Amino acid sequence: MNTPDKKDKSENPVQKHEFRGDTRRKRFNTSFSVICLLVSSLAIVALTSLLISIFVTGGNWLSFEFLYTNHRENNPEASGIGQAIVGSLVICGICGMFALPVGIGTAIFLEEFQPRNRYLKLFHGLVQLNINNLAGVPSIVYGILGLTAFVYMFGTFNSIRVNSQPDYEVGATYFYQTKTLGGTYVKFPAVAAIQPTFELQTMMNANRANGEKFKLNVVTNEESKTLPEASRANYAIRGTKAKLVQRDGKDFYEAQTLDGETISFRAKPTYSQFAKLLEPIDVVGPDGETFQLNVLPRTASTPKDEEVKLRSVFADSPDPTKRSSASIFRENSFFHLHLPFSKSVLSAGLTLALVILPIVIIASQEAIRGVPATLREAAFGMGATRWQVVRGAVLPSATPGIMTGAILAMSRAVGEAAPLLAVMGGILGTTNHLSSLMDKTPVLPVTIFKWAGDENQGFEHLSAAAIIVLLAILLLLNSVAILIRYRYEKRLGK
Amino acid sequence: MQEPTLTEPKIVPSMNFKATVATATTAVEPTSFAMEIESFNAFYGDFQALHNLNLKIPEKQVTSFIGPSGCGKSTLLKWCNRMNDIVPIAHANGKLFVGDVNVLDRSTDVVDLRRQVGMVFQKANPFPKSIFDNVAYGPRLHYKISRSELYDLVEWSLKKAALWDEVKDRLKKSALGLSGGQQQRLCIARAIATGPEVLLMDEPCSALDPASTSRIEDLIFELREQYTIVIVTHNMQQAARCSDRTAFFYEGKIIEEGLTEDVFTRPKVKQTEDYVTGKFG
Repeated sequence: MNTPDKKDKSENPVQKHEFRGDTRRKRFNTSFSVICLLVSSLAIVALTSLLISIFVTGGNWLSFEFLYTNHRENNPEASGIGQAIVGSLVICGICGMFALPVGIGTAIFLEEFQPRNRYLKLFHGLVQLNINNLAGVPSIVYGILGLTAFVYMFGTFNSIRVNSQPDYEVGATYFYQTKTLGGTYVKFPAVAAIQPTFELQTMMNANRANGEKFKLNVVTNEESKTLPEASRANYAIRGTKAKLVQRDGKDFYEAQTLDGETISFRAKPTYSQFAKLLEPIDVVGPDGETFQLNVLPRTASTPKDEEVKLRSVFADSPDPTKRSSASIFRENSFFHLHLPFSKSVLSAGLTLALVILPIVIIASQEAIRGVPATLREAAFGMGATRWQVVRGAVLPSATPGIMTGAILAMSRAVGEAAPLLAVMGGILGTTNHLSSLMDKTPVLPVTIFKWAGDENQGFEHLSAAAIIVLLAILLLLNSVAILIRYRYEKRLGK
Repeated sequence: MQEPTLTEPKIVPSMNFKATVATATTAVEPTSFAMEIESFNAFYGDFQALHNLNLKIPEKQVTSFIGPSGCGKSTLLKWCNRMNDIVPIAHANGKLFVGDVNVLDRSTDVVDLRRQVGMVFQKANPFPKSIFDNVAYGPRLHYKISRSELYDLVEWSLKKAALWDEVKDRLKKSALGLSGGQQQRLCIARAIATGPEVLLMDEPCSALDPASTSRIEDLIFELREQYTIVIVTHNMQQAARCSDRTAFFYEGKIIEEGLTEDVFTRPKVKQTEDYVTGKFG
């Protein structure tokens, strides 16, 4: 043990050294604070000038109408961000519904359920490492991930072809629509059936003659000329007609690849693109009334009576090369879903959820770590199970932190453009309103991006106006976060 | 309280020292034990915190653990209701029985064990909830209980903990608004509300002022009628004032164990004497 030597009366050796004087270091102290002040004011100047320029460019274009009208091509005066605001809110809602439960759950798992088993510990560490790294991944990378994982689903389900229904789908009704001689539109339900021919349009799963499964790529005639010889067995020309054959009592389509090999794939009932009108049929009229549609022979003359004209069409030509006048349409219910999700609001929301998931997890972990250990001890000491400890003691105390993190993460999601461009494409306006999760919608950041680059000068101003709205939304979200934090802390306090 | 027996005096075995025989004191040697500890070793990783402990804790008496910091008394206390399960590197072997329950057995239901063995911590740790919800927390965890019965139970527990008169008008207010001493009594009320048989107290008064301390000591003295209490304390006077028996720990071993009066006035080992007279520690 070190004990002070009581007999030692010598002086502190520091006294022997020359005193440094204090003018120089005090001067340095002053200049350092001046530098700090300058640097910070530079940041403020940059931000202010940005804000001023945005307000000057877009301030005059802000109006109440701007908030609820939609994009009009080449008409900036009449354009607005109505659909974009709704789209942003819907996508953020989906994003929050997935990212928050998963993120908070993961944080609870990582913080509260620390395993003792060696392998589980390894898994635990791996998850933690991953999350820390994922927080720094650029959002466009998530966009590409969302494209493969949600939009195409790794090509597991055959991709959705233009004008045809996906293999796995709920909530959609298909009907044919045709124009009567009187000019009104009538419709009748479509019945799925195995079609005699099938046109190859996009990549799909197929079997070779020897039973081997492979992915058949579809290319245009032009593209096929540049293909290397070795890969020609995996390609077919777009528009190739596949013929229906029966094998072992099952229906198959057979088609030729580029090198002439015959490949096959299962035939599923699909809707024909056009319906042939040859005999009278029950239809639904424009006002929802049901009646029988007269199908007049092509040789007949147009009826004179207007009432009759409203209930009549000419029959289709028996010549199969001539197109029918009744073509297929789809009506989506609000729960319309199909696999893969394709370019849709759901894909976009899930992709954004991936973007903010690490942020939510890390913020929730911080909040949970901030809960005093004594609270956990108290609950454990009462005989609470681990879940009861989490539910009754940890979560109530961690809620303000978790909520704040969640809202800040959501404000990040509102402002993301890159992943949405990748997953939904740059849409500015859609003709039909958002009715199901499988629809596409314009969103604020993408609208800003597209408008800013538009040739029409007016859209540049609109872009600035939209930025002001976006900034206002972000400001609102952040103040809500602060408010929640404040109120919870007050409630948990005294 | 156990009736004194007239047969031969019970012998309390102590690992390192000759048996101590209870003689003419006001307290009597107990016959039934709430906890029995035999050749108990506890570790944190490779570090052995407790060495070969042997101790019997009598029913419905107050036993105090004294000793300098880091001597393992809190570790033993935490093992009594497996609170050390939270610490990943903690492990133990030997025998540790609470009643008939083998605490160290893997198949022991920890949740049920903790219901029977309540714990009061060094720092008062009420939940950031209302006073009522704090006391009702344990019963709600373990029992199906109606609202009115719960109210009666909360009242009973708060009365037991000598807190009812101070808080009966503010049961819905946050428990964090209470003073330190009140919070600690609330924690005691919360612990007894689940109906434990044993109460473990880990330095319950170390963060309190003398007035609050004396109230809690009075409370411990009253609770002794119904509960077996084990209290860890750094305050020698406290151990002398409110415990029936005392165990002196030093460097992970029990140096001396016996009636409090004996340990404090007639210690058998030099180390004990040095410690209780304040020469070290």
